[in-house]
Amino acid sequence: MSSTLSGSRRLGLAAATLLSVATLALSGCAGGEGASNDGAGSDSTSVTVFNGATGTISENFNPFSSTALQPTLGVIFEPLFWYNAASDDEPTPLLAESFEWNEDGTQLTIKTREGVKWSDGEPFTAKDVAFTFNLVNKTPELNTTGLSATAEATDDTTAVLTFKENSFMQEPSVLGNRGIVPEHIWKDVADPITEINSDPVGTGPFKVKDFTAQSYLLEKNDLYWEEGKPAINEVRYISLDTADAATGALLAGEVDWMSSFLPGLEQILSDNENLSYVNTPALTASIFTCSNEELGCEGPQTDPAVRQAIYQGIDREQLNALAGGGFAKTASPTLVIPDRDADWIADPENTETPANANVEEAKTTLEDAGWVEGSDGIREKDGERLSLGIQTVTGYSDFISLNDAMSQQLREVGIELNPTQITYNEWINNLNIGKYQLTLESIGLQPSNNPFYAYEKWYNSANTTPVGESALNNNTARYSNPVVDKALAAARATNDETVQKEQYGIIQDEIVRDMPYIPIYVNSLLTEFNTERATGWPTNEDPYALAATWKAWDNGIVLKNITPAE
Amino acid sequence: MKYILQKLGFYLIAFWAALTVNFFLPRLLPGNPVDIMLAKLAQRGPVTPEAREAVELLLGTNTEAPLIVQYWQYLGKLFTLDLGTSVAFFPASVTDIIAQTLPWTIGLIGVATVISFVLGVTLGMLAGWKRGSWLDNLIPVTTMLQSVPYFWLALILLFVLGGMWDLFPLNGGYNVYETSPGWNLEFIGSVIYYGTLPALTIVISSVGGWMLGMRNMMVSTLSDDYILTAEAKGLRPKRIMTTYAARNAVLPSVAGFAISLGFVVAGSIVTEAVFSYPGIGSALLNAVGSNDYSLMQGLFLVITLSVLGANLLVDLLYSFIDPRTRARS
Repeated sequence: MSSTLSGSRRLGLAAATLLSVATLALSGCAGGEGASNDGAGSDSTSVTVFNGATGTISENFNPFSSTALQPTLGVIFEPLFWYNAASDDEPTPLLAESFEWNEDGTQLTIKTREGVKWSDGEPFTAKDVAFTFNLVNKTPELNTTGLSATAEATDDTTAVLTFKENSFMQEPSVLGNRGIVPEHIWKDVADPITEINSDPVGTGPFKVKDFTAQSYLLEKNDLYWEEGKPAINEVRYISLDTADAATGALLAGEVDWMSSFLPGLEQILSDNENLSYVNTPALTASIFTCSNEELGCEGPQTDPAVRQAIYQGIDREQLNALAGGGFAKTASPTLVIPDRDADWIADPENTETPANANVEEAKTTLEDAGWVEGSDGIREKDGERLSLGIQTVTGYSDFISLNDAMSQQLREVGIELNPTQITYNEWINNLNIGKYQLTLESIGLQPSNNPFYAYEKWYNSANTTPVGESALNNNTARYSNPVVDKALAAARATNDETVQKEQYGIIQDEIVRDMPYIPIYVNSLLTEFNTERATGWPTNEDPYALAATWKAWDNGIVLKNITPAE
Repeated sequence: MKYILQKLGFYLIAFWAALTVNFFLPRLLPGNPVDIMLAKLAQRGPVTPEAREAVELLLGTNTEAPLIVQYWQYLGKLFTLDLGTSVAFFPASVTDIIAQTLPWTIGLIGVATVISFVLGVTLGMLAGWKRGSWLDNLIPVTTMLQSVPYFWLALILLFVLGGMWDLFPLNGGYNVYETSPGWNLEFIGSVIYYGTLPALTIVISSVGGWMLGMRNMMVSTLSDDYILTAEAKGLRPKRIMTTYAARNAVLPSVAGFAISLGFVVAGSIVTEAVFSYPGIGSALLNAVGSNDYSLMQGLFLVITLSVLGANLLVDLLYSFIDPRTRARS
């Protein structure tokens, strides 16, 4: 989802428009000094994180809550396994050591780690795991993953989850997306929905030391189970309102870790030897099309040939240079991330999108479908002009540039794009109810790198609705294809990856032809670090975790692996 | 007495109208809080289709109650001072958020407004008293500063004084690294230090208006006969300036001042955005961004109350200070 990017993108824009001159100049004078948060003392290392928080911070360390403060997941509470969205590695065991499904996917047996202690000194056991899942199961307000399982701890290190039906596909959300809470504390919590858990007891590498509405401080959990970790003593989270503030703070050495798209990043960082960045592209920027006439979509984009022609007619290399800052990576028409997950692409032909526009091919596609060139160069069919509205959010500077550049590129093949910018709230509303012809959005992160989750969410007819009704943030293109639905059902019923890949091959052939979501490129995801106080951050060569400061779970991994600078 | 009752009645109706607008206006915005919260959820990881139902249950927004019923519930709750729960800061209550942010805004913008009024009126008085002096020539400069867009002026000062010369901190309400809130000297000192630059920008950008207004009133007052009389009586010039001229000249400024006090809360948004100041303006920005109806209503309520309150005060005060306003009714 592009909402994933919204924070950073908005910050990026503001920096570009308001103070680019000033911030650049700042880098010359304020950069590299950064003595301001050394106040903690010489033998303790404290890093400062800006994770996009603006204004007043509201205390909430409840790992079940949708509005929990970001380090709650991963830094204070841990899941059973960790799924690295930056690589195709197998999930890393955290609180669990192994898991096993029964044959028909209704029972999941989890072996938990021994020797783990809660931060209050009590031992962690499989009973805590069972308690956590039972609590979610009986509280619909907390059940954001649609879990329908009862859990039981058969001994201190074994928890068994029993599902009502085949649930292989629940695996990543059960194992990797649920923070385990201590039974001895949470059994007495009166209302787990509104509990703010101000003194959280978790198993994670850090615990809360101090909280105020402007900033909060975490300190090292001395009882952490992984020996020698974490190596740094304190992590401070701060709130900043604008991009200027964020950039200024980074350059002044007041922030050690943040994720923002900074215009002119290379130049800003070249003056500061302590600053570095990592680029972990994981979200595919795409043109979403309201594709289904039967469900109420209107306009030329309901013709698959038009969608194909757009796919063929845009010059992605130029778009990356103009809008992506050169940081974007090549996408795949299957919407799998080719760099990370090429194994999941059945037909090698479908691995990558073309780098440049193929104007002739696009023209032929349109000719064959009956779109003929009109007097002003824009094509027509049955009196309908090939003119399309494309929406994006006010302030998303890179998406706005994309729209402008694509309008020019597509004019050559006879397609007219009319870009409009609207507020975020209106845009997401339009997207959900299908009130658009084309709109720019990102295919977001999924529970694991298995493409099932993306295909299920964006292409399953069960996840769409007629135009006018909310498509629940899912199949917003209103795509409906029985072949895809059947293949999804077959992939869902097994955890044999060979069978799944076969089914995905069927899906990929359909979607590459129909193209309800037209991939542009895998957008950059930039994270900036200061290495003056701590080193060992992810790098472009070794992105051992998705380093974005807003990414749940991965934050804990990064913070427990960095070490104090010499 | 009848005059006062009339005024009070008028303000009561204005208050009710404002409450009604507060209720309906946020609901005319496109989008809804559930979408926004889901989008926020997606910032931390994948969101499944089932998440929506959970969030709707959580926020209690899946009620099908008609708008008019919700409106009565809203009015009813207002009487018990229950402003509801914030979506943007869930599960914190709106009253908590207001209690947390209001003191910062009143402290910063309130003090800055007072300073710029006192400063502006004093300078204006002196400029009017000695026409053609250097102070008088300063007026075009200050009015020019006032006409520069505020955010631009603030950014430039931030850049020069905070970045280039490193005299002031770049953002925040106090030093979060070394102090924590409490009634101790260190914290209070930090608050004053961090508030100086934002306050300075407000003073610089608004002092010109007070100065110009006061100076012109001063000039016209000085040409009145009673000033001549006072001079003829041989009173000391300083006494004539303050007690005779300035006292009468300041009346319109006082009225303006009370009104601008009313706008302290509402006018803080830009200042707080530029300086990352933790006040009510940034809370309002967050509320609008999240379609947080309850918080918007709560904040609008505070703004409405402060504007209406200040106006009422001026009305009542004026009827005492200047009997002419009362005479007609």
